[in-house]
Amino acid sequence: MRKRLLGWLADAALVLYFVFALFPIAWMVILSLKPADQLFSTYFSFSPTLDGYRTVLGDSEGIPFVRFFVNSLVVSVGAVVLSLVVGLPAAYASARWRFKGSENLMFTLLSFRFAPELTVIIPLFVLYQKLGLFDTYVGMVWVLQLVTLPLIVWIMRSYFADLTPELEQAALLDGYTRKQAFFKVALPLVKPGIAAVSLLAFIFAWNNFVFPLILTSNEAQTVTVGALSFLGGDRPKYNLTAAAALVSVVPPLLLALTIQRYLVRGLSFGAVKS
Amino acid sequence: MTELELRDLRKTYRARGRPGVDAVRGLDLALRSGELLGLLGPSGCGKSTTLRMIAGLESVTGGDILVGGASVVERPAQQRNIGVAFENYALYPPLSVAENLAFGLKARRKAARGDVDRKVKEIAERVGLTDLLDARPAGLSSGQKQRVSLARALIREPDVLLLDEPLSHLDAAQRDTTRRELKRIQKDLGHTTILVTHDQEEALSLADRIAVMKDGVIQQLGTPYEIYDSPANVFVADFVGEPAITLLPGIADRDGRARLSDTVRIALPVPVEEGREVVVGIRPEDVRLTAEDGLPARVVAHEPLLESGLATLALDGVERHLVVLTDPEVRLAHDERVRVAPDLRHTHVFDAETGEALR
Repeated sequence: MRKRLLGWLADAALVLYFVFALFPIAWMVILSLKPADQLFSTYFSFSPTLDGYRTVLGDSEGIPFVRFFVNSLVVSVGAVVLSLVVGLPAAYASARWRFKGSENLMFTLLSFRFAPELTVIIPLFVLYQKLGLFDTYVGMVWVLQLVTLPLIVWIMRSYFADLTPELEQAALLDGYTRKQAFFKVALPLVKPGIAAVSLLAFIFAWNNFVFPLILTSNEAQTVTVGALSFLGGDRPKYNLTAAAALVSVVPPLLLALTIQRYLVRGLSFGAVKS
Repeated sequence: MTELELRDLRKTYRARGRPGVDAVRGLDLALRSGELLGLLGPSGCGKSTTLRMIAGLESVTGGDILVGGASVVERPAQQRNIGVAFENYALYPPLSVAENLAFGLKARRKAARGDVDRKVKEIAERVGLTDLLDARPAGLSSGQKQRVSLARALIREPDVLLLDEPLSHLDAAQRDTTRRELKRIQKDLGHTTILVTHDQEEALSLADRIAVMKDGVIQQLGTPYEIYDSPANVFVADFVGEPAITLLPGIADRDGRARLSDTVRIALPVPVEEGREVVVGIRPEDVRLTAEDGLPARVVAHEPLLESGLATLALDGVERHLVVLTDPEVRLAHDERVRVAPDLRHTHVFDAETGEALR
C-alpha cells in the first residue's frame, strides 16, 4: 500500500517536472504560430498561422536567417571534425602513455572548458580583428575548439583507457605498426564513444552564443545570435524569434535521434567497461 | 625451429624522484629448440616482465635476447616473430574466430587470400577449432578462447611461443583438458616455448624444465623432478609442492641430527657442523606414521580427503606444526598421541641464515 502511494507520488513529481521543463517550449511553439497582431493577447485563442516560419525561412525582413542556419551547420560540423582529427590521437596517446607533463597538458585542456568564455573574449576580439579572422568560418571553427576539443579529448581518453592494451600489443606482435594498431584495432572499438561525443560536441558548438556574438557580425554569424536579430528594429517580433529558435533546434534533435542507439552506451562512459 | 637465449637480462623501472625498482636482475637462460620452459614464481617476481621483454613489448634495461643465435633486443615487436598467447586472450570482439586468426596474417601484405584461408583451416584443425570458426569471441567458453588465442599466436609460425598464464582463468574441468591439449599441440608443432605461471601444477605438468623465480632472480633451474626432489633453497622448497613442505628450525647436533626442541631430534641426510642453525624441510608425503621408534607427536587436526588424509601434528616442544599425508584408512582423533618417522632420503636441510640447501 505504502509502496503504491510512493509510486503515485513519484509519478506526480515526474509529471510536474515534465510540465515545468516543457512549458517554455510549448510557449515558444504557441508564440511562433501567432500572427503579428495577436502577439500580446494572453488568451490561448488566436488564429494560428505559419507566416512566422515563412518570413524567417524566406529571408524577408532583411535578415538572412537561412545563411545563419548554414553558417551554424558549417561551423559546428567543422569544429567537431577538427576536434576529432586532433583530439582522437591526443586522447589515445594520453590514455596509453605517461609522458613528461602529460597530466598538466590534460588539465590545461580541461581548464578551457571551465574557464568562462567571457574572460578571454575581449583579447580574442582584438586578436581576431588584427589577424583577419573576425567574422570568418576559420575563425569560428578555431575558437570553437575551446568548446569541443576538451570534451572530445577527455571523454575519448576514458574510452581508450578502458580498452585492454593487450589487443593492440597482439596486433604489434602480428607485425602491425603502431599506427595500424591505432586505426585498425583501437579506433573501431571506440566507435560508440566517438558517435556520442561527436553529438555532444556538436550540440555544445551549435548552442554557443558568446563567441559568434562577439567574433562575427554577418558573414559567419550563427543561428543563436541570428535569431535575436528579429528583436531589433522598431517593434520586437517575438513570433519570428520563436520560429527561428524552433527551426534551429531541428538539426541537433535529428542528429540525436539518428544515433540514439549509441547514446545510452556512449554517455555512460566510464561506467561501462568493454 | 629455434633456440632462445637470455643473457644477463635486466629491467629497472624508474620513476621520477624515487629509487628505481629492479624487476629483473640479470637473467641467464638458454632454451633448446622445441623445449618448453616454465617460468614459475609468485606475482611480482618479474616473470611477466621477462616475457614482455622477450616479446618486445617492454624495453630492456640491460642484457641480450637471442633468437636462433641472433640478437633481437634492438628490434621492435613487429620484427621479432614471436607469438604470445595473452592471459586474457586478447581476442578482437567484433571479429569471428576465423577473422581473428586471419587478422594476424594480414599484417604481412604478401599473404594471398587463398593462402590465408588455408592456413586458418589448418591451424583450426590442429587446435580443434574447426567447428567454431564462425563464432564470435563473446560466445566462447574460457577454454575455447584460450585455444583461439593459442591458434592466433601459432598461425604466423613464430620462432618462439610465449604463454602467459594460459590456464589461470579456466575452471577445473577445462583446465585439465586444455592442459593436455596444450602439451600435445606444443609437442606436435615443436615450438620453443616459455610458459609463465604462478601455478606450480601448470608448470610441473607442462614444462620440460622449470625456472623458479623470485624478486627478479632465478632461484633454481631444473627438471620438475629436480626442483621437487632437491630444492635449491627454502623459497623453492616452500613454493613448489602441494600441500606445502613443513619447514622446522633447529640446531645441528654432534651426532648428525638436528635438535628441534629439548626432546625432539631429527636425523639429517648430510653432515652439518655442530651448532649450526638449520631449517629442516619435510614434505607431507615423506613422513610415515609408525607404531614404534618415531618422533613423539600429538594430533592437532586430521582432514580426511578421501583418497588420502592430511594430518597436522605437534611434535613435542616444537612450535611449528608438521603436516603429514596419511593413508585413506587412517583415522586420527584430536589430541591422540602418535609417532612419526620422516624419510631420511627425502629430508631437506637448509642453512637458517642464507636459506640455501646444504648438500
